[in-house]
Amino acid sequence: MKFFQTTHKFEHDWAQVTAGNWMKYPNEQCPHVIAVDVLERHVDPETGVLRTERLLTCNQNAPALVLKFLGGSTLSYVRETSELDPKTKRLTMKTQNLSMCNVLTINETVTYTVNPHDDSTTMFKQEAEIVAGSSLSRFSSYVEDFCLTRFRDNAAVGRKGFETVLEKLKVARQEAQQQLEKAQSQIEKATFQIEKAAASATASAAAAL
Amino acid sequence: MSSSIGEKCTQIKQEYDGCFNSWYSEKFLKGDATPKCDDLFFKYKECLLKTLEEKKLDTLLADARKDNPFPNSAASSASPSSGSSSESSKKN
Repeated sequence: MKFFQTTHKFEHDWAQVTAGNWMKYPNEQCPHVIAVDVLERHVDPETGVLRTERLLTCNQNAPALVLKFLGGSTLSYVRETSELDPKTKRLTMKTQNLSMCNVLTINETVTYTVNPHDDSTTMFKQEAEIVAGSSLSRFSSYVEDFCLTRFRDNAAVGRKGFETVLEKLKVARQEAQQQLEKAQSQIEKATFQIEKAAASATASAAAAL
Repeated sequence: MSSSIGEKCTQIKQEYDGCFNSWYSEKFLKGDATPKCDDLFFKYKECLLKTLEEKKLDTLLADARKDNPFPNSAASSASPSSGSSSESSKKN
């Protein structure tokens, strides 16, 4: 059995991070996630918690020996269940592989919470345990090591990929804001011109009388 | 926007995603949980369930749900983190 844990701080607030979470894929750093589907989703009427169940389809190569052990296909499926509490500002996501469960199990828990020291940023915590075959087998340890390295690499590109997505969303928001301000300024100028013309017309009419 | 596991479902899925993303930021996070995307989700899910059956993933999913059920809104209790069971069973 192998364990993995990491924490990270995103320089975006919790609302932006959680909104971005639903738009994380596709991104260039994580080409292995090729499809994301929502199986179920509802808001708990008593607690207001948003619950979502998703299916992620991944396509990722591996050494031939590992691939053989894992059933031969580069395609794998992951089931993710999440709870998002807008009152406590906590998003918890749990994933487990759906395929190859008889030979390999990867359980992952991820949380996104507001940074208590700076509420314009978000804390991310990721934990995973990886178990392959029988824990007494040396070969299963080799598979676990491979999976742990792969998991760690994916986690790193996963964070980078998510950062890229969050930055793009931020730029899009800023551009939209600039365009709005530009349009408002144009409206003000046009209003001024109209008022000026009206005043001038009134003055001319008064002079003509 | 991400694709669906079923190619035929990608378009309706992305329509649903667009609706959900707006609802999430503009309504849900501002305190209004009134559902707005149910019709789209229903159409998308119809397509998705057919695909899961074709790919034989429906039984795999049913097994996973037996071990870690996903609660429906009627069955949930008042305690906040009672949803999917916190400790997944380690299968060997």
